[in-house]
Amino acid sequence: MKSKLTLALVAATLAASAQAQVKVEDAIKWRQANYATMGWNMGRIKASLDGAYNKDEVIQAANVIQAIANSGMGKLYVPGSDKGSGFHETKVKPELFTEGAKVGKIAGDFNAAANDLAKVAATGDAAAVKAAFGKLGGTCKSCHDDFRNK
Amino acid sequence: MNSQRIYLWDLPTRLFHWLLALSIVAAVITGQVGGNWIEWHAKLGLLIVGLLVFRVVWGFIGSTYARFGEFFPTPAKISTYLKGAWRRPGHNPLGALSVFGLLAVCALQVTSGLFANDDIAFNGPLLDLVGKAVSDRLTGFHHLLVNLLILLVALHLAAIVFYAHVRKDNLVKPMVVGWKETEGPAESAKGGGFVALLVALILAAAAVYGASGAWMPAPPPPAPAATTPSW
Ligand code: HEC
Ligand code: HEM
Ligand code: HEM
Repeated sequence: MKSKLTLALVAATLAASAQAQVKVEDAIKWRQANYATMGWNMGRIKASLDGAYNKDEVIQAANVIQAIANSGMGKLYVPGSDKGSGFHETKVKPELFTEGAKVGKIAGDFNAAANDLAKVAATGDAAAVKAAFGKLGGTCKSCHDDFRNK
Repeated sequence: MNSQRIYLWDLPTRLFHWLLALSIVAAVITGQVGGNWIEWHAKLGLLIVGLLVFRVVWGFIGSTYARFGEFFPTPAKISTYLKGAWRRPGHNPLGALSVFGLLAVCALQVTSGLFANDDIAFNGPLLDLVGKAVSDRLTGFHHLLVNLLILLVALHLAAIVFYAHVRKDNLVKPMVVGWKETEGPAESAKGGGFVALLVALILAAAAVYGASGAWMPAPPPPAPAATTPSW
């Protein structure tokens, strides 16, 4: 009876941690993929701002960025993923794992800017999109400046 | 000693200097702010390309004291200067080291920028010549080198303050008005006429055009609408 209980407990713990804990290599892969996808979509919006404005294109792109921003990206910075390789060697700085408050502030600004861009994109107002786009780009940069190696 | 007034820095050299100083300061600020300012950062960069190329050409065909040959710092000149026996107007041999250092670091900074990217929404106009991997490394270099540039500018300003207060030699005024009071015999700058100016401006404009990437083949046109799936 006792050993059965222990077994069940161990199994439950394993299952729970398997669910919560992404493997380091996968975590790095998925965050790199998410960022690269955002890069694609930033480029689509910029193309619209520089050339002929395409409202539907901008809405699609802004929605992707908003979805990724609100996906809980923080979960992909699992312990131990300060080093290692996903699609390529990670560029994250170890400070991202130790300066929680600062990262949280930047990530919060980033989320807010992504939500704002998606909202503005729906209106099709190119000037407002340009402003929101610049603001969002600034939050990408502030995180890269502090927490990503060059 | 009889003091006299000579024409030291010609107008193109002075305009070059103050435009360079303003645009470097603006580039450092816009580079750090990012966001939509990166567009201005790139435009300032092209202006700086033009200014630097202008100055290099002017270093060969400009007026007397603007010529590189006039102030090129050889070890012999530097040792004369350090012994306190340097009497000629223009950049002194140590100052000349700083001039060449500033010009070289500005040139490397601006060149690396032309190939850089921010991984957000901006690519340097010449990125396609080297590809993304090299661009990433040049971007890293661009971020590092700017610290050296800021250091050199700080030294530059410190030296000017030093000359003003310790040597009682106001270097800034000649860089603004062109004229300088000198002690002992010295001649005003000659040369650097209209034709030289035109040549330098044309070469500078050509460099800006080259740096802008406007000559690169346009990207292939997007696939016709019918073949772009709606999803
Ligand atoms: C919370 C911090 C943070 C924010 C906000 C952020 N990034 Fe990043 N970004 C990173 C880190 C860290 C990496 C390196 C990831 C790695 O290699 O493990 C990265 C990598 C990237 C990459 C390279 C991906 C690859 O191929 O490996 C791109 C592109 C990118 N980010 C674009 C963006 C864009 C666009 C935004 C804004 C819309 C953005 N990032 C917002 C931290 C951030
Ligand atoms: C980012 C800022 C600056 C840069 C990159 C810069 C760069 C240079 C360069 C390249 C020269 C050589 C001029 C030539 O022969 O073409 C020079 C000379 C000079 N600069 Fe600057 N400069 C900067 C800011 C300033 C400022 C703010 C001042 C004044 C307060 C200043 C004062 C001078 C003076 C007086 C000289 C002439 C020195 C001499 O007599 O030998 N500079 N600077
Ligand atoms: C002498 C001229 C230039 C100066 C002084 C300069 C300065 C700077 C500075 C201070 C930064 C920010 C670095 C940091 O935060 O660590 C930067 C970034 C950058 N600059 Fe320049 N720059 C110059 C020219 C250019 C040019 C000509 C281009 C391209 C056309 C360019 C493209 C970039 C890019 C893409 C970044 C990266 C931004 C990021 O990583 O988020 N720069 N530059």
